[in-house]
Amino acid sequence: MATAILEASGLTKTFGTTIALGGVDLTVDAGESLAIMGASGSGKTTLLHVAAGITAPDAGRVVFHGPSGAVDVTGLGERDRTRLRREQFGFVFQSGLLIPELTAVENVALALMLTGASRAESERRGADWLAALGLAGLEERRIGQLSGGQAQRVAIARAQVTGASVIFADEPTGALDSRTSAEVMDALLQSTTGQGRTLIVVTHDAEVAARCSRTVHMRDGRVAAEVDA
Amino acid sequence: MILRISWLLARPGRAGLATILLPIVAFATVTALLLIVLGGAQEFWTFPLEEDGIIYQLSAVLALTLLVVPLSNLAAAASRLSARRRDDRLATLRLLGATPSTVTAITVIESTVLAVLGAVAGVVLYLASVPAVGLIPFRGEALGAESVLLPALAILGVVGGVAVLATVSAVLGLRRVIISPLGVRMRVDVPRPHWIRAIIAIVVVATTYVVMGAIGAVELAMIMTVLAVGFGGTLLVLNLVGPWVLKVIARRQARRAATAHRLLAARGILESPRAAWAQVSGVAMTSFMAVFAGTAVGLAQVFGVDEQTEMLFTDIRTGVIITVVASFLIVACSVGVNQAASILDRKDLSVSLSRLGMDVATMESSRRLQIMGPLRVTTIGSAVIAGIVVFPLTGAALLFAPLTLLAIAVVLAAGIGLVQLGLVATRPILERVATPA
Repeated sequence: MATAILEASGLTKTFGTTIALGGVDLTVDAGESLAIMGASGSGKTTLLHVAAGITAPDAGRVVFHGPSGAVDVTGLGERDRTRLRREQFGFVFQSGLLIPELTAVENVALALMLTGASRAESERRGADWLAALGLAGLEERRIGQLSGGQAQRVAIARAQVTGASVIFADEPTGALDSRTSAEVMDALLQSTTGQGRTLIVVTHDAEVAARCSRTVHMRDGRVAAEVDA
Repeated sequence: MILRISWLLARPGRAGLATILLPIVAFATVTALLLIVLGGAQEFWTFPLEEDGIIYQLSAVLALTLLVVPLSNLAAAASRLSARRRDDRLATLRLLGATPSTVTAITVIESTVLAVLGAVAGVVLYLASVPAVGLIPFRGEALGAESVLLPALAILGVVGGVAVLATVSAVLGLRRVIISPLGVRMRVDVPRPHWIRAIIAIVVVATTYVVMGAIGAVELAMIMTVLAVGFGGTLLVLNLVGPWVLKVIARRQARRAATAHRLLAARGILESPRAAWAQVSGVAMTSFMAVFAGTAVGLAQVFGVDEQTEMLFTDIRTGVIITVVASFLIVACSVGVNQAASILDRKDLSVSLSRLGMDVATMESSRRLQIMGPLRVTTIGSAVIAGIVVFPLTGAALLFAPLTLLAIAVVLAAGIGLVQLGLVATRPILERVATPA
């Protein structure tokens, strides 16, 4: 039987007069890949942000079942939520949002260094992740010297290097062509669910969603439908 | 058409009040300082030439020249901030078909309007400070408020001059910014400093040293000219060698960085040593001058001179302190404005780093290191170079007037603290940008 790693219940969030989340319940199992789809303004990115502890909901609760037990994410202060994101969660964004002045391996190592790991150890593990994602030999390249697909794989390595239990990806292939998009999704799935980790992806792309084990459709801030692969 | 659009866009943007206030505060400071220095200096033109009047006038010109570089850097930074704070609107205008020159014109107009608002505030600040400035003693007595007060025409001239400076700096500053229909970003084709700068630096410092050694028998006014040439040459060297030195130090720090904030700071400097230098270069000049003039004056007073020369040296020391304080104030404003622009430039990145779990304190530490590191290197490095150029004087000062050197160190340290305050002033912008809702 699957074990829940993230449980959200009764989530509401409004921005001014706009209802972004209107009472969302969602359970994510450990090791699954979940796609969140929906039109612009449907609340899918807000749901990802609230589930990841980036944004606090107006009401409702998010519980993360981590290695050290259950944590009420919504009950944590900003400092503890920041630590939780740093240590337990990984993030991949649409445009990578890597630091341009750092090399590829430094970008990856940075996530680990923020947890207090030494630079040498962080760079060694960063280089291992880059190699695992097919970027061996590109460790010293700056981000501007990489292609879009390569940069996105650096972002994936950065999300994984801390050993995060859950990876949140917001339109990770949104800026890529279809072939590169498929390659990046391969890399993302292999490095997450392929290693027993959990992946939550917000996407507009039905092909990306089709590769996940479950898809949640959002409409007007509510879960309109759930589809298992 | 351009004026109509500028008026339409003249509402606060999403970046908040700080991005409007910072340029206004910056230009207010620039104007107030210019008026104060000019107000103080106008009295020097009433001094008879045969009673060292020429030295007072040359010193005033030198002080104003020293302030021009940081002032224009500050104006350019304020203009870039104007462009950044409007990035969403300007990009939309481009998308709607506005030409790059129309968008540039709108930005330049905004920058000039902010400069004029700041300049008017600066005039108020100046007028409020006149009684206090009038208490500063020169030639043995207080200048007096009426002597420091400039005629209305001169004040208008300064306001106009600041507006022109802002306009020219905006045009030059915007050459580093690309406003496309997809957004506003900085140009990345920054030239790299070369080691040849170090060779040029050594040659010019050595030449200046020889010239300084040979000036003993020349007329006083001639000495001032030679000093100005030597001084200017060395400052030119500082500007040539500064970016290269920062690059070498940052590369070493990047290799050795053991923490995230140190690595980010070192790589940030390496990204553009020239930009890192430009931000603090105003301090290089004043730091150099503080040691150069301060040492000479301190020593002369220890060894004893006639009453008139004693008074002259006291006045030069007062002038040095005023120029150093003014220069650090300008650099502090410049750092504040530059940092506000930089935070907005990297807004998306800061948000993503925050989501990854990097707290604002770490970002702040990295930013502090990235500014204060070059500032310390620049201040101390320039002071050491000045010490080398007038080595016999600094050696003697160490032995006979150590308090003078200590006073110089204290003034420079206070200046560094002032710049740190400029940096701290921008923390709320970083917090607002990086902290999740």
